[in-house]
Amino acid sequence: MRAIYLIARREYLSYVATWGFWLSLASVPLFMLVGAAIPALVQSAQPVRHYVIIDETGTGLDGAIQRFIEREGREQTRAALEAAALVSADAQTRERALAAFDADPLGQEGLDEALAILGMSGNAEMFDAPGGRLIRLDAPARTIDGLRPYLTGERRVATPEGSRSVFAAIFISREAGAELPLITYYSTNVTEQALAGAARRALREHVREEALAARGLDPAEIRALSSLEPEMRNLNPATVDDSEVGAADWAPFIVAVILAIMLWTAIFSVANMLLTSLIEEKGGKIIELLLSTVRVRDLLVGKLLGVAAVSFTLFAVWGLIGTIVLMIAGTFLQGIDPEIASFIAEAVQPGLFLAALGYFVVGYLMYGAIFLALGSLCETLHDAQTLMSPLILVLMLPLMILVFAMRSIDSLAVQIVSWVPIWTPFIMIARLPSEPPLWEIAGTTAVMLVTLILVLWGAASVFQQGALGHANADSVKRVFSRRKPVQDQE
Amino acid sequence: MMTSPALDVEGLAKTFSGFPAVRNVSFSVPAGSITGFLGPNGAGKTTTLRMALGIIRPDAGQALLFGQPPTVRALDRVGFLPEERGVYRKMTAEQVIALFARLKGMTAGDARNRAREALERFGLGASAGKKVKELSKGMAQKVQIIAAIIHEPDFIILDEPFSGLDPVNQAMLEEVILEQAAAGRTILFSTHVMAQAERICDRIVLMTRGQKVFDGKVDEALAVVPRLVTIGVDSPDDISALLARFGEVSQSGNDPDGAFLWQVALNAGIDPQHVLRACVEAGVRLTRFEPVRPHLHDAFVRLVSAGDPLQPAGGQ
Repeated sequence: MRAIYLIARREYLSYVATWGFWLSLASVPLFMLVGAAIPALVQSAQPVRHYVIIDETGTGLDGAIQRFIEREGREQTRAALEAAALVSADAQTRERALAAFDADPLGQEGLDEALAILGMSGNAEMFDAPGGRLIRLDAPARTIDGLRPYLTGERRVATPEGSRSVFAAIFISREAGAELPLITYYSTNVTEQALAGAARRALREHVREEALAARGLDPAEIRALSSLEPEMRNLNPATVDDSEVGAADWAPFIVAVILAIMLWTAIFSVANMLLTSLIEEKGGKIIELLLSTVRVRDLLVGKLLGVAAVSFTLFAVWGLIGTIVLMIAGTFLQGIDPEIASFIAEAVQPGLFLAALGYFVVGYLMYGAIFLALGSLCETLHDAQTLMSPLILVLMLPLMILVFAMRSIDSLAVQIVSWVPIWTPFIMIARLPSEPPLWEIAGTTAVMLVTLILVLWGAASVFQQGALGHANADSVKRVFSRRKPVQDQE
Repeated sequence: MMTSPALDVEGLAKTFSGFPAVRNVSFSVPAGSITGFLGPNGAGKTTTLRMALGIIRPDAGQALLFGQPPTVRALDRVGFLPEERGVYRKMTAEQVIALFARLKGMTAGDARNRAREALERFGLGASAGKKVKELSKGMAQKVQIIAAIIHEPDFIILDEPFSGLDPVNQAMLEEVILEQAAAGRTILFSTHVMAQAERICDRIVLMTRGQKVFDGKVDEALAVVPRLVTIGVDSPDDISALLARFGEVSQSGNDPDGAFLWQVALNAGIDPQHVLRACVEAGVRLTRFEPVRPHLHDAFVRLVSAGDPLQPAGGQ
């Protein structure tokens, strides 16, 4: 035990007592923060886009599209403003800000005033609709040939704010005999389709309204008919009360899949740490000295425990940060958006986290031991990569299964692969919220634990041979190529 | 009272992928002795030592440390310096030594204090807090040696301890070995440096091709090599008939002064004084008479090239 403790301690300190460890520890929450901020950053970085509409039908369809785009943009801006006001202001200030916005239905001043009331002046671009602000310009030409230099950026259109390039041109025509207008959309940007989509929706709404009006309905009736929506109640018969299925009911399933993916990432990263450390140790020729002092199983277990302690330190710090963030977010969102608050409350499943911890320990020991055994056969990281490639493919499979089976986590195929012991930790954790039968949980766990014992025993034997140079990467290749063995010498 | 040998190996054998690395090797290392473990590359020395320490399991035979199997408890009384040496490069010299001291059963406080004292004694006091990667190769080698003996083991096993050391560090290590032996510790070391083995060892065990070919005292090993006598005379007369009864005679040219040189490989039991007396009585005008003491190197070459197991009289 003394030797195991000392080996584990050395292994633990070799990671934890470095700047790199604490930097990587801090970097994950930092990257998550940046990752969460990316959509907002991308949104705020969206440029103002200018477009032109050529209505060849002469029936005012260009005006309908422009009005629709402005209305849609305004609705999105109002929703964003309302969300920001909910988070940052009391009810009275919120009402004043929204009233200021609504008081200026056409211009930018209303938004500026609302933001000033909320104390967020200067952030107007953050409230633009996805895809950025869309501004219509007077067309500098009426044909695509005439507009092409403007669309390709060779020429620019003069506006009161300065010269601007044209992002897109929308042509509306009506072919002879056709009942509906045709939209032809030109833009060099083939990925940003927000404007094209808006134009299509605008004309669809317009032609439907025209058709309904032609059948004698007045605009108010049309609006009333368009807003008709059947009521739907989504219930789970397993629940005792008659509460509807909502986002919160999905939370455990989503969390379980996220946990499975995190489990996979953690085990893979930590096993890699073991591998790298062992190869460094082999390169430094320390193994034999250690083996003259401690037994090979103590060395193996000590290394596994040391790196496990490293990962538990990571989980503890991240878990603490995550819990604090969730607690603050839950309390904060309770008054603002009870649905998100209840989603967060449902996401925190102590049983699921405990199971994840158990699966992590078994999965880590299993893969860690395999990585250590294979690492003992390698002299360099390059050797290790060659040997690890098949193992990494095997490790990837449960991840792929999880991605494809996310919506049918209880399918027969997923149930079968749960019994593959090296995949059990990842698949079963994802299946737990769907409450698989107890015998299945117990059975897969038993098979997994027996496999763990066999893997540890086999890994120790390979490790002993590999660590002392009696077996190497070539030995493995020979096993698979079935070539005549080459004599190993002292 | 009988003291059990520090190491007693009996019929050890080990085969790797069909290749017999060690074949039926038996020998003992008496407590308090300095034993040289000699043999050419691939002779099976390292494999034998690994089996003796329980690092690898023998296919046959057994190794006993202090009369018991090589358990962790027995290993705590052993200090081992492997042939392929290394220490944790990112740890400080003191941390490395203290770690190995603790692995050998010392308390954290004792290990630290002992590490500091040892570093001072080896002239590395100022480098105690430096990481091993910042030390010179010679300093790092000293750290490795200290780590092997820091727990004051009863039995010290050194596998090729002189390889890779510069002459200064070789002399230092030789001094350490003698010092440890003087303190009553048993030493077993494998080496290719015959001069050192001859200077330091009481006994030698010689292996070749996986087998033991000699096990005994150094003098006994030297006895297997014929002693040479070089004789210089001032006349070209043939004296081979006079010398032939003492051993194998050969003429070996002239020395720089023009003397005619003869060499006699003495038969067993012949004293060089007998040759001298015969020359004087025959009136041979000697300009030179030089008994050449045989060296362990010669014994090593002879025993290894002979290949057959030889046992000196009274040896095992």
